[in-house]
Amino acid sequence: MSVDFVTLETGQELSDKSYVLDAQTVERYIGAVGDGSGIYQPADDRPVVPAMAVAALGLRGIVADLGIPEGTVHAGQELEFSAAVRVGDALRCRAVLSQNAVRGETRLVSLRLMVEDGAGRQVMTGKTTLLMVLHTPSGAAHT
Amino acid sequence: MKEGEALRSVTKQITQEAISEYAEASGDMNPIHVDQEFAARSQFGGTIAHGMMVAASVSEMMSAEFGTDWVESGRLKLRFRAPVYPGSDVTAYGQVKRVRAADGSSEIVCSVGVRNESGEDAVTGEATVKTEAAS
Repeated sequence: MSVDFVTLETGQELSDKSYVLDAQTVERYIGAVGDGSGIYQPADDRPVVPAMAVAALGLRGIVADLGIPEGTVHAGQELEFSAAVRVGDALRCRAVLSQNAVRGETRLVSLRLMVEDGAGRQVMTGKTTLLMVLHTPSGAAHT
Repeated sequence: MKEGEALRSVTKQITQEAISEYAEASGDMNPIHVDQEFAARSQFGGTIAHGMMVAASVSEMMSAEFGTDWVESGRLKLRFRAPVYPGSDVTAYGQVKRVRAADGSSEIVCSVGVRNESGEDAVTGEATVKTEAAS
């Protein structure tokens, strides 16, 4: 799915995905980033998931829903973690448009992110800021 | 921890293999990260790491320093300033800016960033965490 950002209005919900955070997904993420913090203890019954894994895996559905256009730059990221997430937790990840403005040759898009666990408890919020170049002959995205 | 104290830095090499693995894990298969031919024609001149992949080293540093306090109360505000190319050695670094005591806990505010081997900042920002033990 691809979103037409020209028509989007602030406050509009852009993505709403639910999934269960399984060990295989978390371990694939940890393998990619090489997290050596020790926060993830696979021998535990329900290991704590690294905070950034919650963010990245929460963004996964949003990335798929938005169809980020070429020329997009990931300019900023804010995250607030409010509870530990463990392997096996069900998560609901939503994204709402909080800013959509054109400045010169660039579209500035901000998304408010909310992640809740299966009990409806907020575990993470955030804000993603994207810069989309409106005219980019050789453009490419940096997300 | 005290104001001015440095956090234990985290250094790692960003490889194309890891970038491709991250793309698979995160679902962000943007060609600028995984397609050499496409990326060569882009403004970056080659593939680059995902911003969130680079930012993960900041979170790793905070987790190593503050344990589960980070995953339960961490706040992170980052700006992505420069691309990170495969083959780069990057270092996440941080320093305590402020320590505030509140309600029996301490709120620790750190300036954080990720720089490449040339000393150029790829990511800069601020991380805040609440800890039970006053420092």
